[in-house]
Amino acid sequence: MFRLSLKMTLARKGRLLLTSLAIILGTSFLAGTSIFSATINSTFDRLFTDIFRDVDAYVRSTNSVDTGFGEVRAPSPVSALEIILKVDGVSAAVGDMQSYARVIGKDGKPLGEDQGPPTFGGIASSSAAGLWIVESGRLPMGAKEMMLDRKTAEAGKFVIGDSVRVNALSGTREFSLVGIANYGDVSSPGGATFALFDQPTASEFLLKPGFVDAFLVQGDGTLSDEELAKAINSALLPSDKLETLTGAEITEETTSQIKKVLGFLTTFLTAFSFIALGIGCFVIYNVFSITAAQRQRESALLRAIGASRRQVTNSLIVEAVVVGLLGSILGFVVGIGLSQALSALLNAIGLEIPTSGLTINMSAIVSTVLIGTIITTLSAILPALRSGRVPPLAAMRETALDVVTRLTRRVIIGLIFLILGVIALVASVNGADVKILGVGVLAVFAGVLVLGPAISRPVAMLLGKPVSKIRGVTGTMSQQNAARNPKRTARTAAPVLIGVALVTSFTALAASIKGEIRESIGSSFRGDYALSVNSRGFGGIPISVTDKIDQLPEVATATGVGFIPAKVGDESPFVLVFNPKTAEGLYDLEMIDGRQSDLGKDEILLEQDKAIEKNLPIGSTVQVTLVDGRTLQLKVAGTYKDAYGNYAVSRELFEGTATPLFDSFIYISTVADVSDKNARKAISAISADLGVGTLESRDEYIDSQAAQVNQFLALIYGLLFLSVVIAIVGIIITLLLSVFERKHEIGLLRAVGMTRSQVRTMVRWESVITSLFGAVTGVVLGIVTGVVIVISLNESGISGFTLPITSTIFILIGSFIIGVLAAVFPAWRATRTNIISSIASN
Amino acid sequence: MNSTNIAARAESASKIYGSGENEVRALDNVSVSFERGKFSAIMGPSGSGKSTLMHCVAGLDALTSGKVFIGETDLSELSDKEITKLRREKVGFVFQSFNLIPTLNAYENITLPLSLGKKLGDEAWIKQVIDTISLNDRLNHRPSELSGGQQQRVAVARALATQPEIIFADEPTGNLDSKSGSDILKFMRRAVTDLKQTIVMVTHDAVSASYADHIVFLADGKIAGEMTQPTPDKVLDYLKHLGE
Ligand SMILES: Nc1ncnc2c1ncn2[C@@H]1O[C@H](COP(=O)(O)OP(=O)(O)O)[C@@H](O)[C@H]1O
Ligand SMILES: [Mg+2]
Repeated sequence: MFRLSLKMTLARKGRLLLTSLAIILGTSFLAGTSIFSATINSTFDRLFTDIFRDVDAYVRSTNSVDTGFGEVRAPSPVSALEIILKVDGVSAAVGDMQSYARVIGKDGKPLGEDQGPPTFGGIASSSAAGLWIVESGRLPMGAKEMMLDRKTAEAGKFVIGDSVRVNALSGTREFSLVGIANYGDVSSPGGATFALFDQPTASEFLLKPGFVDAFLVQGDGTLSDEELAKAINSALLPSDKLETLTGAEITEETTSQIKKVLGFLTTFLTAFSFIALGIGCFVIYNVFSITAAQRQRESALLRAIGASRRQVTNSLIVEAVVVGLLGSILGFVVGIGLSQALSALLNAIGLEIPTSGLTINMSAIVSTVLIGTIITTLSAILPALRSGRVPPLAAMRETALDVVTRLTRRVIIGLIFLILGVIALVASVNGADVKILGVGVLAVFAGVLVLGPAISRPVAMLLGKPVSKIRGVTGTMSQQNAARNPKRTARTAAPVLIGVALVTSFTALAASIKGEIRESIGSSFRGDYALSVNSRGFGGIPISVTDKIDQLPEVATATGVGFIPAKVGDESPFVLVFNPKTAEGLYDLEMIDGRQSDLGKDEILLEQDKAIEKNLPIGSTVQVTLVDGRTLQLKVAGTYKDAYGNYAVSRELFEGTATPLFDSFIYISTVADVSDKNARKAISAISADLGVGTLESRDEYIDSQAAQVNQFLALIYGLLFLSVVIAIVGIIITLLLSVFERKHEIGLLRAVGMTRSQVRTMVRWESVITSLFGAVTGVVLGIVTGVVIVISLNESGISGFTLPITSTIFILIGSFIIGVLAAVFPAWRATRTNIISSIASN
Repeated sequence: MNSTNIAARAESASKIYGSGENEVRALDNVSVSFERGKFSAIMGPSGSGKSTLMHCVAGLDALTSGKVFIGETDLSELSDKEITKLRREKVGFVFQSFNLIPTLNAYENITLPLSLGKKLGDEAWIKQVIDTISLNDRLNHRPSELSGGQQQRVAVARALATQPEIIFADEPTGNLDSKSGSDILKFMRRAVTDLKQTIVMVTHDAVSASYADHIVFLADGKIAGEMTQPTPDKVLDYLKHLGE
């Protein structure tokens, strides 16, 4: 029987192909994601192993703040270098620095992108422990010389002898380029740019005189790395607060830190690949259901001539296993291509992640093939059981394919899911846990999917009404065809439904966030212009620039807002840093209690909800630990409605400390009679000199801040694209199978005078009705989900739901187009139906 | 025979399936005419080419060589679209099975060719046809709710609905019991005699053939003979003759 099943499976190439297609698409994203993750992981592994190849020990400060997006560590005093060099077993040691520095190109524009890989400034050293290998020229010496990494030099078309402008914490300076270097074996790690100086220049220009980030140490080979680290540790002064790691430890730590950040991304991608797989499941299940129905007579014949139920069921399962294996192996191959596409997608939206080569783990292959095969087999179980239940008698008589099944049980189960879901949603709207929200959304989706076959007939009839009006009997047949097999229609529409619901809810969420951004910036920002950088927590506009702009005669006031990582109580947030002296009337925190202009050096402001959550009333104190290890007791001086952060402090707090201060944006109000042109000219003169920042009017700034959500939305759309493709392929497959199943009918229609174009019209509109059925239910579900999420997340700062009307209309038009596109091939196939052979009696 | 009296004809029609070793000459230089206002039958043993002849004359299939005419129209000069239109307006069909669209009710099936051409049709005529098949109370039923005999009656009514030049029926009673079969045959007879229609029926059954005015005998893709005013006995006699 097994061999027979196998033979029957392979004999039907068309069906095999269609089923495999669904599996290939479903599994390819999963494979693509795991290949992509493996590739970035191994890229970073290799990179850091390269970087720290010659480092036997690493000395750094013990003070740090981990924000969850990477660690921020305090600088180390250069004086410790003397101590380290004297330790027995140390052959070389050098200061290391990776601070913010941006090279300004010959055209006056900074190199690298605002959203791109980081731009670093560091120490060029001749020590064997140094990471840089001079390729041409020599090491920089003194305050006027610098070196560039080869890639940046090439990108900026700089040659030795050129003068290069660099922007860093303490402003913009001009250096003469004396050398070009490689970083280990690579010209530039991860696409970052590097401006390198001798240690005193680097410390003074990039960080703080007399400090570096850390020290790289090379042993003389007499001690093991562990012994070396121990020896250094015991030599270090306790007052310097330094610690020593072995080369292996720092490699491991750096790599795992990067991987942790990338972990968010890969988890995110994996979530979407499972969505695609789930949608693929529907298609696979649908294909098996249809083919099982189509070969009902074959199954009945097998039963009639003595095959047991089990054997009939098993033959379908064998088919599923074969197709599942085949499909997921091919899916893996397609996934290799998709992993490249993922890279391209992330690049396109500005999240550049370095990948080199292609890392394919055996485990990725195994898991893809395993998951693909298991899912295919599971999808086939129900149809296979149904096949086994076909009575042998069905072989003898004409069996009607349009079986009207009892829907009562389905309606009850669907409603139960729906009601439970709604209860959970109502609970979460009223403040229940986010997990309840997730459960509620899932239950509502499940309920709608279970109810699908019960509502697909009436909804399809309704949607088909205008079609039948416009297209006459051809349209009526489209309408009837879409409604004749409610289960099939519902299953075909399900992927569209899920895809559209996700797209709609994300779009609605994005629209609401945009609305919120507009509102909150609109109410907090009262000035005329904003100068901003999008540096993602690394660097920004040095506060000296803010003060310079403030001094301009055209400018009434300029106030800057920046963020700094710190430990506050039991959290490690980015704390908002502003200047209370200039912020009044320009940057309004919308205070509920207290006055923002009164904020003193030893005080802190809290967001209202945070203050309540942490039970920190006005007058209480909260402990704040800064990156440099300084621990402060700050007094709660007021609460505000909402801003970019839950905590706000005065920039005075950092005066005279080693902590570098940057502003992320500067709000500017101009004096009364200055023209727009003159104001821009004056401000740009300063920002252009730095080569950083975007100067925008209030309206422009609000627009561009809100538009940042689009980047996120673009990523979501990109990731959902494959799900949409799977949904389209699902419709194509179903239509093809339906066309095949109805070939008698189509032959007859052709015989009695239906033209080819009418046949095409008939198939096309059936497809459109099916797709719109999915889209309409999806939009409804998506909006409901969106509203609920927005309301539930109210606390986290989204206050109003914005319905994206245009986007919703576009989604519906898109689904219409999907319906039309999906029908192209099946409709063409339908017109090829041979009249004679399809009306022949058998 | 005056050519205006001819509803359809074939001139030296040949149809060859396959090529080389597998070549089957389903029709071999057949010339035949079907008179307007008459009930004709095509008879012959299984595989003799009856269906092929019907398909080619009705414009469902193309000849390998020769010509077919519906009225004065040479089908070989028409495009697929024109032939489709001609089938819709001038030709009616009744097949052995799968005659109706399962998603349309009886009335919609009957008027299907008219609807496809976006025409209303002659209402009085359609009413007359429906009266004749006496299925007035079943018009709102789907095919799955009708018996085999009722389904074939609807099919014949559909073929008549457009008042076509000619109706082709390929073994229309092949799947029916004898009572339903003879109902259909009587009904077709009435359509010719009372409603002045033209019907060509393919059959291998002598009793069915005897309802016709005129029989064309086929054997091995060639015309083996013709007979007018047949009776079952005469036909059986003739077939016996042919067999020798
Ligand atoms: N599509 C086809 N391909 C090959 N041979 C065919 C095809 N259709 C019919 N034939 C052959 O042509 C001959 C006539 O067939 P047909 O017209 O169906 O006979 P009848 O209707 O008299 O039983 C038979 O030998 C049949 O096998
Ligand atoms: Mg035949």
